[in-house]
Amino acid sequence: MPKSQYTDPNKLRAAGKIKFKDIPVNQYKKSIKEERKNFTDEQLLRMYHDMAVIREFETMLNSIKKEGRYNDTEFMYAGPAHLSAGQEATAVGQAYILDTDDFVLGSHRSHGEILAKGLSAIEKLSDEELTKIMSEFLGGKIYNIVKEHTQAASVKELAREFLIYGAMAEIFARDTGFNKGFGGSMHAFFLPFGIYPNNAIVGGSAPVATGVALYKKCNKKKGIVVANIGDGSLACGPVYESMNFAAMDQMKKLWEGDYKGGLPILFNFNNNSYAMGGQTCGETMGYEQLARIGAGINPEQMHAERVDGWNPLAVIDAMKRVKKLLTEGQGPCLLDLVTYRFSGHSTSDASTYRTKEEMAAWEEQDPIVCFRRDLVEAGVASDEKFDEIWNEVRERNHKMFALAIDEKVSPFTDYVANPDSIEKLMFSNQKIAKMDDREAETLLPYGECPRKIQLANKARFAFDAEGKPVPKTRMFGVRDALFEAIHDKYYEDPTLISYGEDVRDWGGAYAVYRGLTETLPYNRLFNSPISEAAIVGSAVGYAMAGGRIIVELMYADFIGRAGDEIFNQLSKWQAMSAGLLKMPVVVRVSVGSKYGAQHSQDWTALISHIPGLKCVFPVTPYDAKGLMTSVLNGTDPVVFFESQRVYDTGEQFHQGGVPTESYEIALGEPDVKKEGKDITILTVGATLYVALKAAKELEEKYGISAEIIDARSIVPFNYEKVVESVKKTGKILLASDACARGSILNEFARNITELAFDYLDAPPVVVGSENWITPAHEYEKEFFPQPSWIIDAIHEKIMPIAGYVAQKNYTPVEQMRKAKFGV
Amino acid sequence: MATAIIMPKLGISVESCILTKWHKKKGDEVKKGDILFSYETDKSAADEESTVDGILLDVFYNEDDDVPCLNNVCVIGNAGESTAEFAPAGAADPAPVAEAAPAEAPAAVAAPVAAPVVTAAQGDMMKISPRAKGLAEKSNADLRFAAPTGPEGRIIERDVRKLIADGVLTTSAAAGVTDKDAVGTGIGGRVTTGDTAAPAAVSAPAAAPAAAEEEVTVARLTNIRKVIAKQMVESLSTMAQLTQSSTFDATEIMAFRAKLKEKAEPMGLANITLNDIILYAAAKTLADPQFKSLNAHLIGDEMHYFKNVHMGVAVDTERGLMVPTIFNANKLTLNDIAVQSKALANDCKKGAISPDKLKGASFTVSNVGAFGVEVFTPVINPPQTAILGVTTIVKRPKEVNGEIKLYPAMGLSLTFDHRALDGADAARFLKALSANLESFSLLMAK
Repeated sequence: MPKSQYTDPNKLRAAGKIKFKDIPVNQYKKSIKEERKNFTDEQLLRMYHDMAVIREFETMLNSIKKEGRYNDTEFMYAGPAHLSAGQEATAVGQAYILDTDDFVLGSHRSHGEILAKGLSAIEKLSDEELTKIMSEFLGGKIYNIVKEHTQAASVKELAREFLIYGAMAEIFARDTGFNKGFGGSMHAFFLPFGIYPNNAIVGGSAPVATGVALYKKCNKKKGIVVANIGDGSLACGPVYESMNFAAMDQMKKLWEGDYKGGLPILFNFNNNSYAMGGQTCGETMGYEQLARIGAGINPEQMHAERVDGWNPLAVIDAMKRVKKLLTEGQGPCLLDLVTYRFSGHSTSDASTYRTKEEMAAWEEQDPIVCFRRDLVEAGVASDEKFDEIWNEVRERNHKMFALAIDEKVSPFTDYVANPDSIEKLMFSNQKIAKMDDREAETLLPYGECPRKIQLANKARFAFDAEGKPVPKTRMFGVRDALFEAIHDKYYEDPTLISYGEDVRDWGGAYAVYRGLTETLPYNRLFNSPISEAAIVGSAVGYAMAGGRIIVELMYADFIGRAGDEIFNQLSKWQAMSAGLLKMPVVVRVSVGSKYGAQHSQDWTALISHIPGLKCVFPVTPYDAKGLMTSVLNGTDPVVFFESQRVYDTGEQFHQGGVPTESYEIALGEPDVKKEGKDITILTVGATLYVALKAAKELEEKYGISAEIIDARSIVPFNYEKVVESVKKTGKILLASDACARGSILNEFARNITELAFDYLDAPPVVVGSENWITPAHEYEKEFFPQPSWIIDAIHEKIMPIAGYVAQKNYTPVEQMRKAKFGV
Repeated sequence: MATAIIMPKLGISVESCILTKWHKKKGDEVKKGDILFSYETDKSAADEESTVDGILLDVFYNEDDDVPCLNNVCVIGNAGESTAEFAPAGAADPAPVAEAAPAEAPAAVAAPVAAPVVTAAQGDMMKISPRAKGLAEKSNADLRFAAPTGPEGRIIERDVRKLIADGVLTTSAAAGVTDKDAVGTGIGGRVTTGDTAAPAAVSAPAAAPAAAEEEVTVARLTNIRKVIAKQMVESLSTMAQLTQSSTFDATEIMAFRAKLKEKAEPMGLANITLNDIILYAAAKTLADPQFKSLNAHLIGDEMHYFKNVHMGVAVDTERGLMVPTIFNANKLTLNDIAVQSKALANDCKKGAISPDKLKGASFTVSNVGAFGVEVFTPVINPPQTAILGVTTIVKRPKEVNGEIKLYPAMGLSLTFDHRALDGADAARFLKALSANLESFSLLMAK
């Protein structure tokens, strides 16, 4: 925390009370007659039209799911359908206010928001802009299909067909959908209209939207961001974390110049009273009125209010205020939009938790019916006009439905012809030095960072000219190598920002960022709350919106706190977007020791298990700088493991030491750290140094020459060097500090067995930590692999060594016993 | 530096051998090639020669000791050299060789009998790393002689390297005993002796179907004899054995044999004997499912029927009767059978037979025809259910178109276990076998 802020005991201990402002509840009172001064009849009818489009769209899905047909056409669709019939006014009301620069992110129930935002964008964009967007999107694939089959009289009408067709084809998993069918109902989006991804994880959009807003703020981009989430998501930790993150004092108090001010984000709670079947008010939560929550976040109470989401004009009225507040830097905002869904959570939900009377009461006030009645009564249009609107909507929907389900027009992805259809989307694998062309903003010219100056005097190789070890105080260590790569990228890529716990002022718990506080403004390097979900989730949004970002979780053990954000968000969006999104996010985590069971775990296996994440673990300065430079030039999400054991370790392997200039080490390439001929030892992480000690003993005492390979990367991983080595030695032992069960080493061992079976003189043997809690530092030798463990395992499982007496039991009987006992 | 002489490993599954006789005493001068000691498993015996010149400095085992394979047995070197570092752990204090071996120690008898149990438990699979296999294939190293030093008794690369360094490469004899139809698990899919020792169809525990009967002429019982004696008594005392004898007209097989004798060499065939022809016919006949009770093991209350015929062939050797096995004999050609039976007999006679080849038979043929025997009652090798004795040929008259003609009649004596099958079953088999032999050319066509 900054020293400029004084934590005053006198103030903190003084008596007083907290006062709250009144929270408005459904204060909108205007009649259609009054609103006709603010809206043209055409605009009012357009609102009705858009609501009808959504209702018809959801009716179509409901009919397909429940009756296997729509418009007398039989059709089966097995995927999800979380319908928003009833909630049309919230979608149309917000979209009416939003421009294409304003972005919406949604939930599993967001078909309505996609359609409304799209229809609004179509109204707001010029014909030229629309034609350009449509003809350029996916090489004009969707545009051409619609154009070929349309009788649309205008570009806007064609664009409406384009929108409905693209959304339908996406839901029906067609190659011609907005995301080639890889996103589907719960993940569809269309960036050119300001429609950012929806999210199948409840509340999942809250941190992602926060990151999108952060991107806008840190890169001075126009527009606001709306996170459309439900009342059910209010019970999710990441949603709270995001609201708190968005409301951080520092943005208004510490950030400077144009960057001063709140985050332009609206947490838009579409409050339909039900979280699946659980009733959020009265059963599963205690807020009574959702808008109350804003008062718990900041003194502005997030400008929260409850709004009648059943009335599009009430929503528009509230959204006008929200947009003004956010544009003025008064964010974040919170709206509690009262609404109701007519269908169940999904089409398989029989709504056993609510009464027919309740549903009938809401249906009586159906906004589609009531808004029409009010408009007719106010003389905006005749009843016939509304019938015309309905005919137009139905006809368009029917036409697009017929196109979207026609396999000739809208084929499924052909996996036989293109077996790599998804494979090639898992990573973007691009090299982009900077995500934006503007000048990078720093506080000091390049080369004047005090740390950078200090590093010039450090020894970049661990041994001096006579081969004597350099003292640690004079050594250029792993932490310096990481710093150097990050420092240089900060000067190159103006979008690069970084945050995490204690990164500013403190310089990070392990001093990697020391010196950057002086070099970078707040908006590029700041301390975040201890909110791992919000940290990673917002990084996802930041990258999705076009930025490059490094976030730090301090300990690998905290990955669990950001589980959904790493496992479901960070990993999946590139492929779910059919490659439309890039994800240049580096999540730095460090593997600890000395701090016991919850601060000492190597979780590379957890990360590697999730498709879509890259995973590296360098442990030498040369590798750390090269790999960090590489991932910072890349466009894929990388979980960057570091070891607290080796932050101060100098370069012992790369002749000439760590270069001062920038260089890359390709991901996926293991490195032979020591050549040998009798046995190969493949290590992940700091166990490299343990293996080196074992190799020394093997060589000196038993005449066994070990070849040591440092994996460096885990995903991707090129087996060539390892297989080559195993062909030579015939034997391989794999070691890391991860608990042996489920360790990534087992995956390596299996692949090596398959790739080099005929060359193996013994099965590959894995030496990992015990399957225990990590004990106190004093007992770590009983837990983490030691040099003697490696020799024991070689002696007992690979090649008995004459004259050697093993200490640790690696016999099959012991192996079976441990497995049986679950350790 | 003194040289230790180890107890050789006589087969992959052999864990230990009985030291049967010392030919030298501690302190004797020995020359390279002198026989130092004799040793046996329950099925095989051999002499160990000195590999160096020198003084027999020390011996670590007495006669009748059960010596773990690869343990040092004695040390040869120059007078005064230390031998203590060679002493194997667990060896009994060596007694002076001059002392006579203890007479009839019951434990010594028990040891070799117990041995098959040990080998059966772990002996039916050779443990070898893929790398060691590949190296052995390239270098023709004879894996039967590899001393495994890998974990769990696995042969690893360095063991094969040692074989190569020691010059132990595949012998023609080893090549000869392999069974070409056996499923190869060895080098590049090749059949190893390990494979033939463990045919896939053998599901029964490999008990000890070893020897049969022999004239006893020597006073002192060798271990082989002790084992034979025990097994024969066990055979006769635990089974309900009876023998049926018959003869068949050997005209056709004799004519066939005469033709073979003339043409074998130009055709590249082996020397095919009448016994080979009988082995062939017996194997083919036994393979008929209706005779499965004769191609079986009776173990406890269970019959273990074999899919293929593993033909035990009684071989007369100086050491005693040995019964090597031709595995999957029903799948072999007559020439294959001839090749294998000769190779096995030679190995038995030389004492080079692998113990792994002395077990696993499902049926046995014992031919005493050469001795002029006309009828005998062979004794079954338990747990087999039958044994076929083949006896000499005598001329017999028979009526052909009203005329009395002499024909060569060859005798068959089938002993079977009445617990496993009935007399009619045995008679049907004899009849079928006789018919096959009398129309051998038709059988060949099958």
